[in-house]
Amino acid sequence: MIPIPKKGTPEREALIREHRECVDSMKGVAGFSVLKCETPGDTTIVTGGVHENPVLRRVLLRMRGESPKGKLVVICTKVDAEWRIGRLSGIRGVPPEFVNDKVYTDEQEIQHDIFLMRLEEMPETAGMPEHFAEGWKRRDDNWPVT
Amino acid sequence: MCAMRLTGYAEKFSVHPGDKIKFYVNCDGPAEFKAEVVQMINGDTNPRGPGFIEKPIAAACNGTYKGRKQIIHGGSYGYAADAPQFHVESFTLQCWVWPTTPKTHPRYWKHGAQGLVTKWSQGKGYGLFLNEEGQVELRINGHKITTGVPIRDHAWHFVAASFDAATGEVVLYHEPQIVYALDPVIEPVKTVIKTKVEHSAAPVALAAYVDRMDDSPLAKSSLPAGVWFTGKYNGKIDSPRICNKALSRFEIEQMKAGAQPGLTERRNSGPTGALSETIVAAWDFWDGIDTIVAKDNGPYRFDAQLVNCPTRAMTGYNWAGENFDWKYAKKEYGAIHFHDDDVDNARWEADVEWSVPEEGIKSRFYALKLTTSEGDEDYIPFWVVPRIGKEQSKIAVMVPTISYMAYANEHVACNAGGAELFVYRVPIMQQQNMFLAEHREYGGSIYDTHTDGSGICLSSRLRPILSIRPKYDHFLAQAPWQYPADLHLVYWLETMGYEYDVFTDEDVTYDGLARLENYNVIITGSHPEHNSGPQLDALHNYTQRGGRLMYMGADAWYWVHSYHPAYDGIGRGVITEMRRCESGIRTWRADPGEYYHQGTGELGGMWRFRGRYLHSVAGVGMSSEGFDISSYFSRTPDSLDPRVSWAFEGISYDEPLGNFGLVGGGAAGLELDIVDTMLGSPPHTLAVATSAGRHTEAYLLVMEDFGFNQQGLDGTVHPRVRADIAYHETPNGGAAFSFSSIAFCGSLPWNNCQNNISTLVKNVLDRFSADGPLPPPPADAIRHRGRADYESPALAQRG
Repeated sequence: MIPIPKKGTPEREALIREHRECVDSMKGVAGFSVLKCETPGDTTIVTGGVHENPVLRRVLLRMRGESPKGKLVVICTKVDAEWRIGRLSGIRGVPPEFVNDKVYTDEQEIQHDIFLMRLEEMPETAGMPEHFAEGWKRRDDNWPVT
Repeated sequence: MCAMRLTGYAEKFSVHPGDKIKFYVNCDGPAEFKAEVVQMINGDTNPRGPGFIEKPIAAACNGTYKGRKQIIHGGSYGYAADAPQFHVESFTLQCWVWPTTPKTHPRYWKHGAQGLVTKWSQGKGYGLFLNEEGQVELRINGHKITTGVPIRDHAWHFVAASFDAATGEVVLYHEPQIVYALDPVIEPVKTVIKTKVEHSAAPVALAAYVDRMDDSPLAKSSLPAGVWFTGKYNGKIDSPRICNKALSRFEIEQMKAGAQPGLTERRNSGPTGALSETIVAAWDFWDGIDTIVAKDNGPYRFDAQLVNCPTRAMTGYNWAGENFDWKYAKKEYGAIHFHDDDVDNARWEADVEWSVPEEGIKSRFYALKLTTSEGDEDYIPFWVVPRIGKEQSKIAVMVPTISYMAYANEHVACNAGGAELFVYRVPIMQQQNMFLAEHREYGGSIYDTHTDGSGICLSSRLRPILSIRPKYDHFLAQAPWQYPADLHLVYWLETMGYEYDVFTDEDVTYDGLARLENYNVIITGSHPEHNSGPQLDALHNYTQRGGRLMYMGADAWYWVHSYHPAYDGIGRGVITEMRRCESGIRTWRADPGEYYHQGTGELGGMWRFRGRYLHSVAGVGMSSEGFDISSYFSRTPDSLDPRVSWAFEGISYDEPLGNFGLVGGGAAGLELDIVDTMLGSPPHTLAVATSAGRHTEAYLLVMEDFGFNQQGLDGTVHPRVRADIAYHETPNGGAAFSFSSIAFCGSLPWNNCQNNISTLVKNVLDRFSADGPLPPPPADAIRHRGRADYESPALAQRG
């Protein structure tokens, strides 16, 4: 595993910048990927992002593979108009809760803020031996489960 | 937030002109609601498309109705009505259990004790339970005797309890079948309780217990009506017995074999005659696996009704790993897996009923639109389907309702840790997902796991299905998926001025070829993934007899489905069953020995592994999937072949095909099919356009196409990660045109249907819908072709 780039490092800033540019270029697409549309909102030609930045790709994969408990998720509060950030409970029957009051009016924009929040929340050594816990033996990652 | 106060469902998906259709509505709060029949034209609210479109229909049922709350009593159990024989003084209860959630989180939606075999309610009666600490517990009236030891999850245990009324002696047994080196010994718990068992009119419950009985309106939707069951158990139970005597441990051992009726010198050695006289009930879950009755082979025949369709054909405590088909080893399949979120029927009271006029109503997509003055809204989709022989058009759309049922009330974004890895972004939950995240009693989809983590293999249409809704973007696509995505096609048909009929998977499954044969062309939905055998037979017979098939999507003809015959009495296609066996894209995986359907006994899994290749139905089959963004197609030299060049009239050879759209931004996306003559594509199939080389790394080769994990499986590098638009002729002037991408229909509405995808589909539909056989191919097209007899020019040059 690669370490999550540390706060304040040029490497981390570069990831954030690349992610930001991808998000901006995807506005208007009925879908989303951390890639850059050559023409904003048009997926005919996409470059950059996870295809060309191996660190960004791996950091995103690590974030995406996290356990559902406490995982950030997008909640649409008005169809095609408003979105907010929520957190999954990880408990069946307990719905996600909003993490703050911020309302987004673009469904892609929220992807970037969640990326930033996860960078803050994820230790540099996430997934490495110093974080070993009993749950590793008991499939608490929930990774292969739906 | 996001409390959906209006939800509902219809008694059926398809209704014939002249027939009635009932709607069941939960209106939780508002005093009244408005109901209006509307025709559904477009369900997608994306501002880059035509926007949401519905058309009011003058219907006698349109009006304002009194609202009432209706609830689903979710979770499966069995019950047998109260009877004098259950009013025992002394007793022994016994069964095998394989619990899946013996101990739950305090915030878990049904945290608390779980009933195993109970004749207990409100502090009266007797029963075996798992208490909220996950320990085996015997209840006698208000007394609770436990082992004090948590039971291990996902493992077989034998549990039993006896009570001798004369001495007050109680013995509670908890005997794990697997004992690990460091497990403490669990001794039987013995105590003395001076009490007399008090009895009530509560039914015996298996995998639950009776909370209370009353005549409240909300209790009407329970079964039996008026009885509130609680303590729904998660896990397997095998061979439950009730005897009217405190049996010794040796007698309990003998009683494991059950009643063994009809003992003679030649058969059925079992409990002795004297021991048999103590039997009150001895349920054999292996008997009648394809029914929803738990058979009591004891003397009183207290067959238990199974409610909410628990999973049967499950391996029992004695499964030897030698037989894998329950039909040939029933006694090794004596387990039923109960789940606290199973649902087979919401059992609501009807609020609205529409008598569809015999004349003047077109066969189309409709919905009952529900609204309140306080801003609540829901839509209950249904389809008006002509009677056979009274078709209204030459064109028909086959609505993939089995696939809609498979995806019904899907929870993947909320449940799954890895969901983000396949959508390649943070999932978006809609208000329907938020509601379902809380209301697990609405049941999940066949993509989900139950609340106990086991796979969901049964789905009912007699419940509100909040994913079959307009204005609903699915997290997989961040765009319409299934029902609302198929409305893109409907919008296109309407805009282009075609007359068309509609029917459902259910209609084809029950009616066979008769449902298809009067049409010139059948158009599929965007993702008809889940299919019954009779449906595939009918499609085969249709295309072989000159019928034309337009396959508008991808990942079709993939999974084996069957409707559970035990529900045929209350309508067609009420419950569909599917098992996720050894291969294919599986969000859960069936356990060993549990591959055969409980309803029909057929082998589940992929049609491919029953020798029915996907590619044999319409010439293409699924090869990859990815859910981030879509791409587009380019024509191939095959498109210039006079057999098919007519389809490209008005389209230049070099223009990108479908580099626009309302699903992923392009026509080639989500799930993709390719031509493969080695997997069933007819050898004369033409691949007229392809999206090869354009997909993102989120797109991955399907796992059934490789046998070894390796790098290089994604869309940026793997040659099979592509979609091929394909055409082939079938006998008698028939043909199949396959567009091979789930996102494809999302491009049809683009620019008011003025685009090259629209042109291509129009060319095909115009030719396919014409009367009579298709024009014959050029004479030189008739020649011998093999399947693999081809050498790549690139390889030939290297030689």
